Amino acid sequence: MALSNEELKAAILKKAETAPKPQLYIKDFYACDPDSKPRVIKNAANDLVKEGKLMFWSSGSTTMYAMKDRIKNEEGESGVN
Amino acid sequence: MAKHETPLLDELEKGPWPSFVTDIKRQAEKSPQCWDILGQLELSFKERITHWKHGGIVGVFGYGGGIVGRYSDVPKRFPGVEHFHTIRLAQPASKYYSTKHLRDICGLWEKYGSGMTNMHGSTGDIIMLGCRTEALEPFFYELTHNFQQDLGGSGSNLRTPANCLGQSRCEWACYDTEEACHHLTMHYQDEIHRPAFPYKFKFKFSGCPNDCVAAIARSDVAVIGTWRDNIRIDQAAVKEYIAGNIPSNGGAHAGRDWGKFDIQKEVIDLCPTECMWMEGGELKIDDSECTRCMHCLNVMPRALRPGADQGATICCGAKAPILDGAQFATLIVPFMKVSADNEFEELIEFIEKVWDWWMEVGKNRERVGETMQRIGLPTFIKVMDLEPIPQHVKEPRSNPYVFWSEDEVEGGWSRDVDEFRARHAA
Repeated sequence: MALSNEELKAAILKKAETAPKPQLYIKDFYACDPDSKPRVIKNAANDLVKEGKLMFWSSGSTTMYAMKDRIKNEEGESGVN
Repeated sequence: MAKHETPLLDELEKGPWPSFVTDIKRQAEKSPQCWDILGQLELSFKERITHWKHGGIVGVFGYGGGIVGRYSDVPKRFPGVEHFHTIRLAQPASKYYSTKHLRDICGLWEKYGSGMTNMHGSTGDIIMLGCRTEALEPFFYELTHNFQQDLGGSGSNLRTPANCLGQSRCEWACYDTEEACHHLTMHYQDEIHRPAFPYKFKFKFSGCPNDCVAAIARSDVAVIGTWRDNIRIDQAAVKEYIAGNIPSNGGAHAGRDWGKFDIQKEVIDLCPTECMWMEGGELKIDDSECTRCMHCLNVMPRALRPGADQGATICCGAKAPILDGAQFATLIVPFMKVSADNEFEELIEFIEKVWDWWMEVGKNRERVGETMQRIGLPTFIKVMDLEPIPQHVKEPRSNPYVFWSEDEVEGGWSRDVDEFRARHAA
């Protein structure tokens, strides 16, 4: 039986906190609940972004999800030169 | 007055062609940060390495697309490009806008960004190049509140849908491409503005097989207008073309004298399926052989028109990457009625079936055409609840695409694969 929306969001957050890589593809969250449809998982992950618990990281062609405090923010870095 | 020495870039101003270097220098007189674009690019040319960092976490509140983060890795040397984000604006259907609107958009971009634009990007959006993070929200507020324009798609989102001029100006359009594009854009706002997929996804709408938005070459779902009855022939107009009273090709190619119009040489002999001929002074067409190449209609537009039973062909799986791996779309549905009367219900149902399958089985950063190729067309056709048809076969025998299983053939069959492979290596 598929998880409820709140249970699914909690599972996604746990995965984002504990995964070895800080940035995750949406498909990386599918394992959080194999009984939920990909679209339901996508909606839950996007809700977590709206709530400020996850952030989008985009290369321009692909978008990934990350916990705010796990992701390196390019802004404010002085760079190599 | 140039801020940096750019001898390598200056080379690109020589020669007969317009130069982006000249354009950026001109813009730099108004927007000094553009000098740093030139300086950083000169450095990249010298060192043969990019000085842009890859991606970022910029955006506007509530959106997960439309803004592409770009940061310099040498901001102390080139502070004007410390942040240089790209913003994609959704273009209006068919790219109709007034010059006033374009001036206003450019004015807004000079207020908040570098003033540099790219009109238009390959997907169709208006591209605004070069904005600092703190200017994104105010720019977005004015764009949406004062100009009623929205951001386009980027990342793993549905990209900004695009369409040809359609029935607004073109007599060949077999369905209302503008209405279809607008309706689906509004219907899929969530998919455009927030990531949803393993990778980018595009659909494009062409009104006829001339395919002016090149949907077949670069969209995951291409909706290309067609007809399923016969090409409409005005025999009196055919005679006028033959007599030279109507210029062929709508008067195009009139820059030199090509001689008298020759229907045999210029139309009939060029038909790829050889399905046309003259008989008793009349043009005849075996429509069952027509592959909708559009050549005869393009040459004699006043004599030939698309049939009256109009709709669209749906093709899937094209991609046009910059570096390699370009792939044309594969025909999936030869004819589908595409109509606003039922709010494009059949097309929407088709698109969502594609999405459900691709979201499930597509790999990260894999376009739907790559997934189709990896898993196979027979599976894709089954998933789409379609029956295999001859049009799905690309090359009979060498690449049949459709394989029968034993339970699908009356009487079945028995075979020993090992015994067969002993005689015929795979």
